[in-house]
Amino acid sequence: MSLTAEEAKLLKAISVPNSDAAKIVRNFDWIVVVVLLFAVTAAFHIHFMLTAGDWDFWVDWKDRMYWVTLTPMILVIIPAALSYPLMHKLGLPIAGTVCGLCLVIGEWVSRISGFHLWAYFPYSLVWPAIVLPGLMLMDLFYMLFRNVFLASVFGGGAVAMAFAPANWPILAPYHVPVVHIEQLVNVADVIGYSFTRTATPEYLRFIERGTLRTFGGESTLVSTFFSAFVCMILFYMWWRIGQFLSNLGTIPNQLKTFVGLEADKDEAK
Amino acid sequence: MSVVQNDVVKSEKIEPWKINFKPMILGLLAITAIMLTARWYQQWAAWDYGLDASDPLFDVYWMKVFWAQLIIEPILFFVFVGYLWLTRDTHLNQLSKREELNKMMFWISMLVVYAFSFYFAGSFYAEQDASWHQTVVRDTSFTPSHIFLFYMCMPVFIIIGFSLFFYAITRLPFFAEKISVPLLLVVCGPFMLLPTVGYNEWGHAFWLMEEYFTVPLHWGFVFFGWSIIALGGLLVQILGYMSSDLLPKVLNEKGELTS
Repeated sequence: MSLTAEEAKLLKAISVPNSDAAKIVRNFDWIVVVVLLFAVTAAFHIHFMLTAGDWDFWVDWKDRMYWVTLTPMILVIIPAALSYPLMHKLGLPIAGTVCGLCLVIGEWVSRISGFHLWAYFPYSLVWPAIVLPGLMLMDLFYMLFRNVFLASVFGGGAVAMAFAPANWPILAPYHVPVVHIEQLVNVADVIGYSFTRTATPEYLRFIERGTLRTFGGESTLVSTFFSAFVCMILFYMWWRIGQFLSNLGTIPNQLKTFVGLEADKDEAK
Repeated sequence: MSVVQNDVVKSEKIEPWKINFKPMILGLLAITAIMLTARWYQQWAAWDYGLDASDPLFDVYWMKVFWAQLIIEPILFFVFVGYLWLTRDTHLNQLSKREELNKMMFWISMLVVYAFSFYFAGSFYAEQDASWHQTVVRDTSFTPSHIFLFYMCMPVFIIIGFSLFFYAITRLPFFAEKISVPLLLVVCGPFMLLPTVGYNEWGHAFWLMEEYFTVPLHWGFVFFGWSIIALGGLLVQILGYMSSDLLPKVLNEKGELTS
């Protein structure tokens, strides 16, 4: 991509240390960073909590079927869309990392303030999933390949492939079997039984279909591969949606004459 | 009175670059104060007076807050938006590029306040709503959680968003010449979260559904939340305009302001 004469002049100007140009650009950069952090936290968090939230809120919902399948699919959507303006337009392979970081911060603030201090749930019940490794890998693959198709296959897939391994160390102790009122359950279930919620009547909890274990008994692996496949498609689709939303352009302003600007020629006729 | 050399030099002196962050900082402090006071009030009054909508104390401690919000917020909306429209620049075609740069940077700094207020609606109070309603079964649409999430946080970012939109089309030639569609989406998409509350409350009342936070009933909020992705498009538009048009006209190759 070649620079115009004006852009080349500007680039030269901002490279002068402590110049007005350098200060303006520095001010602009910092403001945009802060805007992005708050806006991405809000947008990504509301998107995530209302589509995968229940699995993320409660430790007894973190199963080997829906949690592992659904969470990466939901995770890849907004980072993929923001990859277009950030990586394709600005050359910054940070969409996944920024989104993951913002989500984790937003979730922890809410889990501490809302779930723990207000509703009195213990942290052992309400810790959020670890999402950063997969999203960082997504950025890494996009940076290495600089190609949206390869980034979809490897980066999108990596979001799902890294999800279960990243969470296993923290989740494993909750899956230790225990006998509770003569029933074999796990530690997560016992914590869940102790803190009754509207979201956990037994008849509504989807834990795991028995048929999912028929492929070598590895529900997590089967779910992960399926999720990776869908994430590849979702990455490409949402990258295109990001492209569409970033190139929407402008529409005529019917009110411009009220601020001293000339009406568009079509309107004047 | 004679004109001396010093006066001539002084009048041609170019003002050095300095951005005024005071309005942004004041905005951030005001939002922080409002949101933290509301959170404190929840902690104090929710468990004691907010569990039963038929309790007379619920009216005293919660519905009064709700009615106050319903009166104050529309007034603030019309004061802010009305002020910006009535005091608009009616000679925008004569605005100097330097003045435009100052106004553009001020406007971008106020986007920080908009994003900060959206954070409380989209993240802080939204997920907190899950913790409350999965603990305390609701018996009204106006719960201690909803009164601050739907009827405080959302109107606050709507007021700021529309104010920013009107500032842009009345004071910034770039946005006044043609309306930026990404800007429209960034303001109107989050605004649509408030009307979505109507469908949400109807659904909760009609189907008496409480069990999931991920129910399809809530996906309207997700759809309109996606509109913030257009912020990327807005950023691309602003960068394009500033780098190819605005900044080259006010800076020389040494990086000094020329006007």
